[in-house]
Amino acid sequence: MSTMKTTRDVKGVGLSIPRPDGPEKVTGRVQYVADIKPRGMLHAKLLRSPHAHARIVRIDTSHARALPGVRAVITAADIPQLKKKAPTRAHAVLAIDRVVFVGQPVVAVAADELAIAEEALDLITVEYQVLPAAVDPLASMQPGAPPVAEAGTEADTSEALAHSAVALAKSDTGPTKAVNVSQQARVQRGDVAKGLAESDLVIENTYRVPMVHQGYLEPHAVLAEWDTNGLLTLWASTQGSFNTRSEVADVLEIPENTIKVIPVECGGGFGGKIRALCEPITAVLARVTKRPVRYVMTRREELEAGMPAPQVIIRLKTGVKKDGTLMALEADTVLDSGSFSGTVLAVSAVFLGSMYKWPNFDIRGSEVLTHKPSVAAYRAPAAPQTIFAIESQMEQIARALHLDPVAFRQRHLISEGDPMVNNQPWQSNGATEVLKRIAEHPMWKSRAEWVKGNGGHGSNGAKRRGVGMAIGGWLGGLQPTGATVRLNPDGSVSVLTGQVDIAGTNIALAQIAASAYGIDVDKVRITTGDTDTAPVTGLSAGSKTVYTVGAAVLEAAQDARRQTLEIAAAEMEASVHDLEIENGKVVVRGVPDRSITLAQIGKKGNLYMSKVQPVLGVSRPAFSKQAPGFAAQLARVEVDTETGEVTLRDFVVVQDVGRAINPLAVEGQMQGGSVQSLGMALTEGLQFDPDTGRLMNPSLLDYRKLTAADLPNIETIIVEVPSPAGPFGARGVGEPPIIPAPAAIANAIQDATGVRITELPVSPERIALGVLAQK
Amino acid sequence: MAKQILSSTINGEAVEVLVQPYETLLDALRETLGLTGPKEGCGTGDCGACTVHLDGKPVASCLMLAVQARGRSVTTIEGLSDNGVLHPLQDAFVRHGVPQCGFCIPGVLMAAAALLAEHPKPSEEEIRYGIAGNLCRCTGYTKMITAISEAAQAAAPRSA
Repeated sequence: MSTMKTTRDVKGVGLSIPRPDGPEKVTGRVQYVADIKPRGMLHAKLLRSPHAHARIVRIDTSHARALPGVRAVITAADIPQLKKKAPTRAHAVLAIDRVVFVGQPVVAVAADELAIAEEALDLITVEYQVLPAAVDPLASMQPGAPPVAEAGTEADTSEALAHSAVALAKSDTGPTKAVNVSQQARVQRGDVAKGLAESDLVIENTYRVPMVHQGYLEPHAVLAEWDTNGLLTLWASTQGSFNTRSEVADVLEIPENTIKVIPVECGGGFGGKIRALCEPITAVLARVTKRPVRYVMTRREELEAGMPAPQVIIRLKTGVKKDGTLMALEADTVLDSGSFSGTVLAVSAVFLGSMYKWPNFDIRGSEVLTHKPSVAAYRAPAAPQTIFAIESQMEQIARALHLDPVAFRQRHLISEGDPMVNNQPWQSNGATEVLKRIAEHPMWKSRAEWVKGNGGHGSNGAKRRGVGMAIGGWLGGLQPTGATVRLNPDGSVSVLTGQVDIAGTNIALAQIAASAYGIDVDKVRITTGDTDTAPVTGLSAGSKTVYTVGAAVLEAAQDARRQTLEIAAAEMEASVHDLEIENGKVVVRGVPDRSITLAQIGKKGNLYMSKVQPVLGVSRPAFSKQAPGFAAQLARVEVDTETGEVTLRDFVVVQDVGRAINPLAVEGQMQGGSVQSLGMALTEGLQFDPDTGRLMNPSLLDYRKLTAADLPNIETIIVEVPSPAGPFGARGVGEPPIIPAPAAIANAIQDATGVRITELPVSPERIALGVLAQK
Repeated sequence: MAKQILSSTINGEAVEVLVQPYETLLDALRETLGLTGPKEGCGTGDCGACTVHLDGKPVASCLMLAVQARGRSVTTIEGLSDNGVLHPLQDAFVRHGVPQCGFCIPGVLMAAAALLAEHPKPSEEEIRYGIAGNLCRCTGYTKMITAISEAAQAAAPRSA
């Protein structure tokens, strides 16, 4: 996409401008769903299953219904649209006759006050016949395991398509033999047996990553209200208002144009607020009571019954020659999808086999259902888990062969045109440049000295230092989208999209519009419209907002500029080709006194009896080319070998963003993503009782997210290898920084202690036990 | 149970409202008084999003009953700025692009303001521990630490 020429630089692309919503956010004035309270609003609560797997024998709601202040008590029997073969969690609004995870909603209540709704839950009796549960994914794959889905339920692959747009030629979503295996995929090239046989070094490990929660601070929340014409309005905390509308319409079997979704400020999503979760039941309660109903999940409900990232188990076997030549890779990947299908199975296979140039590989993937909460996306879904495996493996190979870990990776890293495992070519990317920046970084070059220089730390000599790195990538999502750019009567410009701003993207889109139109960004106002007013827009997911919506805004701004110049040309009787936009005016090049202001053009488009058309730039692109984004991370750790405690001393993230439209916002994404990645590496994991399937750490005290006191400053290094199709060369930014840290940290710990950790989180217990086992 | 009268000073103004005896201070602020700046991120005192000042000290308002604030002074994020002029912390947060989703920000700012009132020139470590009770999932804290540090330098010496 070409940039239109302007005679002076406008204040736009490339500037570190604070988000315009900053003042609203620091004063507490920004409204989230839970802050909105229309007159007559009722509060909803859900009675949830205490069992991972049970048959519902009887439900008695009579006492709850009799409680003053209770306006509705609903079971599955009250919702005729419910089907037993629910393809997604959203469709399983309330359990029909069987519960399949602890925390599954069984009965819904709406009441005048939250306390009354809570009391009503206590008055409901549900009689269960408890059934054996399949909690461990490997056990759940075995013949004879207790079935999770109703027989004949179709696998859900929409998440994979939304996020990564990768497909495997051999992907198989049809019915399989094992009852709980919901999807299978396999990709192969060459002769793996021969490759392994001819290898000098064969390493085999099994890597395990538990379910982790996205951890957004704002729990799921929705407010629903129906008007007298049967039109439903949903105020939602969502990453995609049009997607929410489609899903709710599908579940409730009502036309999409009877639903308006208003995307309220989203208090963090990270993939967990893409799919509908509590919107359908809240809409049902509002319809039954004819009152606005608000439902806000508690943190405990979020942890027990949200939509976390899948548990991932990867058996990985690699063979290389003594000189480091890659020979063969063999892998079995298991993604635990919980109680409903919906993982991004293909992503795992692509990153296991496509980061480095393996001549022979055989990668098998299975999605398995278990009696646990079903999963959803979490920032670069399946990538951190997969990269943990392959980047841990690469580290071990380099160490075993006494090769420099970065140089070894550089030798085998893919570049543009190399085939991925699905035989699609890698698009232009900055992987090589990112790795080069790590190799050049003072912390990497001085690592031997730093590791030795631990004087003063631990008089008993128990503390060891280590340096580790890893690289990971993300293919980048694609989705058609629309945007409009209009000129206002005061000469300012308004941009309208439906894109939910979950990452600071609105300021970046405004900057793109400013540069493309030729006006300073402070004259650009951007609005996220609702599903009634905005052009159709995709999800804020897959690191694709700036890449795709940015392209739409760019084209719409160029369209608006073209219209503006045409009007100016007619008004000034000049040729369009001689015109420029400068300082809020259209001027004739070289004739400084011939000009017309943007405000004059804007006014002419809005005057009674005027014959001048209003300026309205429109774009509605679809896309075919992805723009992969790579990030590498470098960690310096200090490990207490007696307690296993890890202190993170320094952390660097290097990322290719194509073009940093707003470096300030890009840094924020890189730092935030890095810390989420570090959380997955060091402390986070949903722990389920292996027998009952109950979550054993259902609070933020026990599900430990990293705090400011756990961390150093995160150093950011922005690399700009322009993408061919992105606006001003931009690539997706959000997901790459969450990918490498689990591997980088495990590699640093191996550097410090010699202990190879293959299971996340890298807890003090695992490290201390590893050190003990060495002795 | 009958509602109770809660008389206290909230953001500098004398307030008298009826609250349920089991109502948390956070719920009273949000639902009864319409001060929705303090957020409920967990309801169990683990995330810090509900942090307000009680007689100048930071507290998790989700862990207190509203009636415990009787006769005391409560400051919420709505009371941190002075007649529309941003507090130096708020100003630094905006300029450094700290807020992303923004949900944790009111709590972080109240914790940071309490920290600066007690330690006008905190070290980086003191800042990190000062906001360690506030979880943020978007920022990685780095820009937060920079902004708090800068606000402390700009404001110090300050009286609490």
